[in-house]
Parts: sequence; C-alpha cells; structure tokens
Amino acid sequence: MMGGPGRQLRQDTQKAKDISATLKRLVKYFSPYWLILLFVSIFIVGATWTQVRTPDLIGQAVDCFITPATVSKFADAPSGAAGAAIPGQPVKQTASQTNCWYTTTDAKWTSQDYINGLGGLILLVVGLFVAGAIMTGLQFYTMTWTGQHVLRNLRVEVFDHLHKLSLNFYAENEAGNVMSRITNDIETIQQAISFALVSVTSGTLLLVWIGYTMLSKSVAYALISMAVVPFMIIATNWFSSRARDAFRITRQEIGKVNANLQESISGVREVQAFNREEANIEEFERTNAANRDANIKAVSYTAALSPVLESLGYLAVAIVTITGGIFLLRGQDMFGTTITLGLIITFLSYTQRFNQPIQQISSLWANIQNAIAGAERIFNLLDTEPDIFNAPDAISMNQIQGKVEFDHVSAQYVPGELVLNDVSFTAAPGQTVAIVGPTGAGKTTIINLLPRFYDVVSGQVRIDDVDVRKMTTSSLRKQIGIVLQDTFLFSDTVMNNIRFGRPEASDEDVKRAAQLARADDFIQRLPNKYETILGEHGAGLSQGQRQLVAIARAALADPRILILDEATSSVDTRTERQIQSALEVLLKGRTSFVIAHRLSTIRNADMVMVIEGGKIVECGKHDELLANKGAYYNMYMRQFVNPSGPNEPNSSNIPALGGLNSATSAD
Amino acid sequence: MGYLKNHKRVATYAYVSLFVSTAAMLMVPQLIQNIIDSITNGAIAQQLVKVPTQFLPMALQKMNWSASQYDTFRNGAEAALITSGVLILVFSVLRGLFAFWQSFNSERISQGMAFDMRNQLYSKIQRLSFSYHDRNQTGQLMVRATDDVEKVRIFIGQGLLMAVQSFFLLTVTLIILFFTNFNLTLVILPILPIAIGLFMVFGAVAQPLFAKVQTKLSTLNTILQENLAGIKVIKAFVREPEQKARFDLSADDFMNQQLQVQRLFSFLFPTIFLVANLGQAAIYYFGGSQIINGTLTLGEWQKFSLYLMYVFFPLGQLGFIISQMSQAAASATRIFEIIDAPNEVANKPDAMNLPPVQGKVVFDNVTFRYFGSDAPALDHVSFTAEAGQRVALLGATGSGKSSIINLIPRFYDVSEGKVTIDGYDVREVCLDSLRQQTGIVLQETTLFSGNIRDNIAFGRPDASMEEVMEAAKAASAHDFIMSFPDGYETKVGERGTTLSGGQKQRVAIARALLLNPRILILDDSTSSVDTVTEYGIQQALDRLMLNRTSFVIAQRISTVRNADQILVLDKGRIVAQGKHDDLMENSPVYAEIYNSQLVEDAAVTLQPAEILSSASNG
Repeated sequence: MMGGPGRQLRQDTQKAKDISATLKRLVKYFSPYWLILLFVSIFIVGATWTQVRTPDLIGQAVDCFITPATVSKFADAPSGAAGAAIPGQPVKQTASQTNCWYTTTDAKWTSQDYINGLGGLILLVVGLFVAGAIMTGLQFYTMTWTGQHVLRNLRVEVFDHLHKLSLNFYAENEAGNVMSRITNDIETIQQAISFALVSVTSGTLLLVWIGYTMLSKSVAYALISMAVVPFMIIATNWFSSRARDAFRITRQEIGKVNANLQESISGVREVQAFNREEANIEEFERTNAANRDANIKAVSYTAALSPVLESLGYLAVAIVTITGGIFLLRGQDMFGTTITLGLIITFLSYTQRFNQPIQQISSLWANIQNAIAGAERIFNLLDTEPDIFNAPDAISMNQIQGKVEFDHVSAQYVPGELVLNDVSFTAAPGQTVAIVGPTGAGKTTIINLLPRFYDVVSGQVRIDDVDVRKMTTSSLRKQIGIVLQDTFLFSDTVMNNIRFGRPEASDEDVKRAAQLARADDFIQRLPNKYETILGEHGAGLSQGQRQLVAIARAALADPRILILDEATSSVDTRTERQIQSALEVLLKGRTSFVIAHRLSTIRNADMVMVIEGGKIVECGKHDELLANKGAYYNMYMRQFVNPSGPNEPNSSNIPALGGLNSATSAD
Repeated sequence: MGYLKNHKRVATYAYVSLFVSTAAMLMVPQLIQNIIDSITNGAIAQQLVKVPTQFLPMALQKMNWSASQYDTFRNGAEAALITSGVLILVFSVLRGLFAFWQSFNSERISQGMAFDMRNQLYSKIQRLSFSYHDRNQTGQLMVRATDDVEKVRIFIGQGLLMAVQSFFLLTVTLIILFFTNFNLTLVILPILPIAIGLFMVFGAVAQPLFAKVQTKLSTLNTILQENLAGIKVIKAFVREPEQKARFDLSADDFMNQQLQVQRLFSFLFPTIFLVANLGQAAIYYFGGSQIINGTLTLGEWQKFSLYLMYVFFPLGQLGFIISQMSQAAASATRIFEIIDAPNEVANKPDAMNLPPVQGKVVFDNVTFRYFGSDAPALDHVSFTAEAGQRVALLGATGSGKSSIINLIPRFYDVSEGKVTIDGYDVREVCLDSLRQQTGIVLQETTLFSGNIRDNIAFGRPDASMEEVMEAAKAASAHDFIMSFPDGYETKVGERGTTLSGGQKQRVAIARALLLNPRILILDDSTSSVDTVTEYGIQQALDRLMLNRTSFVIAQRISTVRNADQILVLDKGRIVAQGKHDDLMENSPVYAEIYNSQLVEDAAVTLQPAEILSSASNG
C-alpha cells in the first residue's frame, strides 16, 4: 500500500543492446541446474494453482452450503406447515446448485449438516493454504539456491578472468571503475535472480491463470471484472516512467550533495585558512535545496501511483459486485451465464488478487531489464581477450642463471606510439643495471617487459637465452622479484604480507627476511608485532615502512632477477638509510634492474643505461659516462651539481637525483 | 524531534490526510457488505414473493424481517446497490486523494528535515576546529551527513506516520469487528499474538543475519578490490592460484550466508501468509456457520474477511517500523554527536576585529598539546619574528614545525602561553580578521571543483580577473593555465582536468598571493616535478615571501641561507636559533641537519634546449 513501487523506481533503467544473445548466455549458466529448475517450475505452478483454486472454493461454500441453508430456512417453514413443495422455489435453488459442483446437498439437510459440510470444504481450503505456503517456500528457496549458485560461478569466473587479463587492460581501465562495475552489475543480477524473476514469473502466471479461470466461468462477467485492468496498466506505466525520470534527477542531485560534502570536508583546513566557511555554507544550502526539491518532485509520482491503483482496485470491486448483483436480482442470465451469489464472491476475490501482481510486475520489470544490461556488461568483460597467455609449447623454466638480453626490442602501449624503439643490451648474471632518464623515457617499460607484463612488438627479450614468450609466465615470474615505487600491501597481517613472496615460508624465514630488509625493528614495535593487521593500502605504516615490508617480501621470494623502482617519495633520513642498506644486501648476487634516483645506486651499478625517448642514448659505468661528457654528464651536472652551491660533486653531501628528496651520504 | 516544529503546517496536512484516507479506506468493506447484503436480501425477497401469501408472515418471522424491510429488500435492492456503488467510488476517490496528499506532505516534511539537518551538520563541520578534524575521518563525517540523515529522514517521514496509521487502523478495525460480530472477532483474536510473535522473531533473527551477509560481502569485495589494485604485485609474485582459492572460499562463504538468510525467508514469509490465511479460513468456517444459523449475513461475512486484511497489514508494518526505529535512533545519536560537538576554537563573545597588522609575531612561552596526547608538541617555546622577517623552521618529522605554523592563524589553541600578532593575542580577535591577514601554501594542495579562476580567487571571490591573472603570473602559473584550451575557465577538481602536483602547487601560490597577506606560512618543498618546473616554483615562492613576515618549513639550502632567523626544533623545543652563519659555527645540530637533510635549489643554468626537452618530458 505504501512505499511499494517506489523502491524499485529509484533505480536507473538501462537497456541491453542484444537482449536475446545475453539471455541465451545467461541460460547456459542455469542449464546445469535444470533438474532443480524443473522443480522450481512445478512449485510455481502448484503455488499459483492453490491461489487460483481458493476463491473458487469460497464460492462453492456460498453456493453449496450457505445459500441453500439460508433458502431452506424459509423453505422449511411452509414445508413444515403444508408438507408440500413450494411451486417455483426449486428453480432458484437449482441456479445455485448448478454452480455447485463441490457436493450435492440434500433438501432434507439440517443446519448442522450444512455446517459439517462447510467444515469439510474449509478443511480443504486450509489444506490448499498449507500446500500453497509449502510450495511458495520451496519455490522461493530452490530458486534462490539456484540463483546463488549461478552467481557464485559467475563471480568466480569473473575473478579468474581478471587475473588472466594483462596489465594493458588495467592501464586502460582504472581499477576503481572495474571494481564498481563488477559489484554493481552483479548486485543487480542478484536482485533480479533472487527476487524479481520469481515474482514476475509467478505474478504473470497468476494473472494469466486467474484471467483464464474467470473467462472460462463467464466470458462476459470476466470482461466486466477486468475492465479496470487496462487503466491500471496505463497508470502504472505513466507514473513509473515519470518517476524514473524524476529519480534520475534526484540521483544527480544527491551526487552533487555528496561531492560538495566530500570536497569541503576533506578540504576543511583550506576552507578555514581562507575564510570560506560562509560562502561554502551558502553554496551547500543551494545544492541541498535542489536535492530536496528534486526528491519531493520524484516522490509525488510514486505517492500518486499507489492511491490511483488502490482506487482503481476499489472501482473494480464495485463494478463486480454491482453488475453481478443487478443480474442476480433481475434473475437475468449474463450472456448465457447464470449469476449466483457464490460466483459474485468468487469474482470479487479474483479481482482483489489482480491488483498486486500488476504493481509488482511493473516495478520489477525495470529491475530485470537492468540485470540483463548488467549481465551483458559482465559478458563483455569476460569476452575481453587476454593479450598475454602461455604459448602451447611454453616451457617451464628451472632455476635460471639470470642472463638478460634485450634484442632489438620495440614496445608500445598504444598502437603506433613506440615507447621503446630498437633497444638492445645484455646483462650478465649478477650484474646491477641502473636505468636513468627523464619521466616518460621508457624506463618503466623496460622493467615491465622482463616479467612479461607486456609483450614486445618486435625483437626479443631473452633470459638465459630463452625468449620470455616461450616460457610459462608462472615459471618466469617466480624467478623475478619486484619492489615497486608505490608499495601495495594487503589487508592482512605483516607476517602474511611478507610471506606473500613465498607462501610456504616458515615464520622464521619471514623474520629473517624482515631482518635482512631492516624491517624487523619497526615491526617489533607494532602493537601485535608480526600479527598486526595492516589496513587497506597498508595504512598505519609510513611510506618508508611500507617499502621495507615490500623489500622483505622480495627478499623472501629470493628471486634470481630483481627489479627495483627506487622511491621518490619523501621519507625521513633514518628510514632512508635503512632502506638504502637493505637494498644493498638484496641486490647482492642477483641480476638487478634499478630505476635509479640515488647517486649511490648509480655509482655502484655495473652498468648505467641512459634512456631518452625510448632509446638507449648511453651505456656504461658511472665514471666512464662522466668522462664521455655526453648525455649522462649533462643530466648529472644539471641535477646533482649546483654551480653556485657549496658542495662539489663527489663530496659527502649528495642530494638525490631529481633533487627532490632528502638523500643519504651512504658512501 | 525539534525538527518537526519547523514543518508544523505541512505536518498537520499530512496527519489530517492520514486520518481521512484511513477512514475512507475503512468505509469500503462496510459498503461492500451493504452491496452483498442488498443482493442476498433482494434475492431472498424475490424468493419470498413466490411463497404463498398465507405463509409469508411465517417466513418473514423465520427471517427476522419486518414487513417494511421486506418491501425495501424486494423493491429497493437495486437502488441500494447502486447507492453503495457510488459511495464506494466516492470513498475510493477520497481515499486516493488523501493518501496522495499524505505521502506527498510526509515527503515534504522528511525532505525538509533532512535539508535542515544537513545544513546544520555542514555548517558545524565547516567551523569545527582542526583538532576535531584530526580525530575524525572525512569518510565518517560523510556517512553521517548522508546515510545517517537518510535513515532518520525515512523514519520520521514515513515510519512515524506509518506507526500512527497502523495503530489507528488496527484499533478502529478491531472495534468495528467487535461491533459487527463479537463471537467471530474472538475467533481471530488468538491469531494476533501469533502474528506479532512471528514478526518479532523475524526481526530478531533476520537483523544479525543481514549484518553477517554484509560482512561477508565486504570481505568478498575487499579481496576483489585488493586484487584489482594490487594486480601487478600478484602477477609479479605469481600468486594467482592462492588468490583464486581465497576468492572461491569467500564466494562460497558469502553464498552460504545468503542461503541461510533465504532459508529463513523461505520459511517465514509463507508462514506469515499462512497465519493470515488461516485467519481467513477460520472466518470462512465460523462465519459460514453463523450465516447458516442466521446470526450473520453474507455481507458481514465478506466484510469480516476484508477487514481482516486491515488487521494483518498494520501488524506487518509495525514489525517493519520497529526495526527501522532502532536504526534511526542510532543514526540520530551519531548526527547529534557532531551537532553537539564543542568547538574549541571559536570567536570569543567580545572578540574584536584585528586591524591591519604590520606582522610582528611573538610566541610567548607557548606549550601546546594535541587533543588526547600527553606529550606536548610544543614545550615552552618563545621567539619573536619582527614584521617582514623570514623565519625558517627546521627539524625532524614531529619536532613541532607544523604546530608552530598551525598556531599562528589559530587553527588550534595553545595549551599554555600565548601567540600575539602586533601585540594582539590571537584568541582575542575575530577568526575572520586574523585569517584574512595570513596566507598559507602547503605541499599537499587541495583544489576545489570549479574553474581555475575560482580556485585562485578562493580566498577573495570578489577579485577582478586582472588581479587573478597578475597573481597567476607572479606564481609562474599563467603560462600553463593559458596552455589549456579554456584558460582560466578550465574546470578542475572532480570531473575536471587533473593538474599535476607542480601545477596545483603554483595555483596554491597564486591563491595565497591574491590574498596579499601580511603573514605568510609555507612549505618550500616541491612535490615530484621536473627540474624546470621546480625552478619556476622556487622562484615564485621567493617572490611570495618578499616583504612579508614569512614562516617557512625549510627543505632547501637557499631558504635557510636567506632566512633572517632560523629556528631549529627538536621534540617540541627550540634547540638552536639564529642566522645561518652563526648556526653553522655554533650549532652542531644545525650543521648536521643542514648537511644531511636539505637539498639544493634546482639549477639555474639550464640551456634553452634542455628546458624545452625536459619540459616536454615532464
């Protein structure tokens, strides 16, 4: 009666592009559960049957017992007195009794006989009610059981697929967007499967069945009773489409309110520093008022729909009883149907059952449409082909030596825009290669190609003389450790975050790795030490501490090849020194590629590669490159050396490359 | 509740409409009874016509009818039928109109109250001091201003009205039923406690189950989210199988929890309907018996079964409202926590405007503790910055640098001692007038959605376009702004162009310059930008500091060398104070920091070609 259709109308409606293809595919997910679905159908039909049957039986109660009993009362009087049948009387009794198929009554029945008979009939009705309840329950449960299993399979499939997709996909699609798309779409599918589908199916079935039953009892009476239905449908559609448009506006308005709140709360310090409180409050009141007005407008449509339907329902009831009553009183047949009191009661009851399913179907229909559109988007995601997959004859690499070769490698993220252009170099096992160059030069691309996060467009990346595309990705990546600039930690214990590098490692191994990474100290100071649970993105730890955990993670994995992106984020001097010395330990004995920002790293490197515009412009040891007075020399002079400053190059105070961060005098 | 007062008129509309529409609704079954009774009686009367006249009185007596009643039934049945039909139409229209008017007005009230509440929350949040915001996260405050307000709104707008309606409907229906037929009412009475019991059980059992479903769902989503955000790490360490297993487990867990809820639903909903239906069945049987015995009419019988729906309907509603109420109460508490939060930093009643200052800042034995912390962030700090001086602040993270700069515009209040500007204690003057004369540029810059012009004019919305452009030029921001197609009209912030860290910083410098403050507070570090940009920013900062009293959290060597006064802080105390040359000689702490933590300025001797190439790379 209240708030019913409003909830569904608040959602947005989206239409799928290819409904039949999407449905066909959805059906495939349901097909393993066909047996259960067969039961679901049986339960739906059964439950609907009980609903159609009941009004008919109530009609029987009137026609077989109540009317005859009432009529027999005054029939008793004369028969008792005169002992003779009244002429003309049986005619009407037959009218009621022709409609009474449930039982044959005897004119000699006493009131008690009628009551007993009625009791039997009502027991049958109770039986129907109980059966209906059981079937409805079973129908609901079996359907949601199936739906939940389908959803689970879909979820897992999506999740697996997300792992198959290459990093290219994640470069093009922001993680947050992918996340909200998946969760929203699955949520709408879930709503549709667990509730809307069953309601709409059984509602439609109920409508059709009741309509059929009414028609088969009396075509004319049925048509009169259903005269209001088209108006109900028109009203529902009209109001629903208005409401949907209006609610779309409310969603935009509340979005603005939220955006305003978000911005002014997170920026509250600036607001106060610049005395903007009053202006902001005024602005917020405007946004807020727009939201209020949009909501009131939208609700006026939903608020109108329910009363209109209710009124139409009452109108239908009035029409049924009055027309039926008039025909009965006049003793006329309604186009060939004899109207009895029982029939009026039956039709009255049917009419009342019409109202609810119509409302339900119209409001849930949008939900089902959304679900199909959601399913289509999920399927599109599943259809995204992973760029990188194992070749059929891919080999699994055993322990590698760590020789890395780039052989005329070109790479691109966007077709036609090479980020690496014909790059060739060789790193011998155990060597440290420092990669320097401006932002966007291609440094990150080089390190992305090694673990085959991306594929080259031409040339080859070889490890121990084998093309990385000929290896299984898992055997390749297991031998490569990576410490990235923005450290990603999982919301799990410190222990498990470090163990991420090697799941089978013992607690002692983890602690040893942490000690090696100089992380043990601060971990010991955490509230639950190694069992402290880190928040999302490792909140609770400082940037530097997160880096130390990441280093420990890589150390535990004990890879043959190490990839390192030196951080440019500011950490305090002490932590900086710790990171520095941890890295030195880690690099020892492994082939390492470092995107270098620290002078000490560059100086200790076996090879410095200067990358500019996707090409190696210079390559060699630090001292040689300085002596060459080429690109490296220029960059070095520009960034490390200040002609007017007090410090000479190679003095003890060496700022970091890029000149932004506190650096250490590690050498 | 006080919020209702603002909407008295509309509330009266809503409640009056509620009573009218409910009363109209209650009339309908009665009218249906009239129709059916008219039909039955008419039909019987027509039968009686055929009874031989000598037996008629006997038959009438048997039926308990008087002769005039018989007449009416025989001849007036159709008219009565139509009268009732028209009445049904009238009442249903009444019902419809007032039901609409009721929900419309209740929405007006509830939206109006939500509007009031949000405004109140918003202005409170905007004015609460920094120390409050230190303790509360943006997300939490957001939830209160959105979800919590919504919960309270729904309850007060709908729940309260629904509760009143339910009680009204239930009571009146029961009274009507008792008057119609006492015995029959007694038959259905036992069903009421059963129904209430079921609803309560449902509420009690379902609530925690729902909470569990939510927890499992958020676990599932966390895994998904982490896997998306950390995909590179997972791929790098080849941890896909473990993550898949983890997700599978969690998906199963979630599914099973869902199914548990569904089992409950599958049992409870049909049961509740069954109870209602059994009530109907009881009416059918006992009512039918009474008709047969002549103590009830067919119309009354139908009326009874219609009214029975009006008994079950409010019961269901009440069960729903109760669960809503506890949620709304919890939400209201959270909302009032903010509205009632004391604001430590507020204008004194007798606060006066700070007149235009010269800019002499004095810290007089200042001790300062952050909320809930025992250890002082500043411990008896005293210093004087003369008007126009440049003061450099040095020290490790947590040494008290930020505390000093936060106390000058009175973002926090001192615990002991006082901060004065030109001799005025900052606590004695109006916050507006104080903050108008202090400009701030921090490393982490928040820009607000709107265009670039609005952001530069943030502190002085009335500034002319010329002034804005002048400030932008001085902040080396003009060139990059003009490189955007829309220039100063370029939208930034959410749904706008994303500015780089360095660009944001320059907009922030322009913003502070436009304010033309006497006192300037800034952080001279530059966030990761290329060399050329960095050089530009440093030049802009130096221009900004010219001729103003400036407090600089120093990261650069040139800053300290040019400072009139350097304060070296350690654990909330000033451990060294003076000019660069003195300190280099006398303070080993300073020398150590100078050598290990400060960075050089970006080089100024770039070749034009290099500027071009690194600008295009950056």
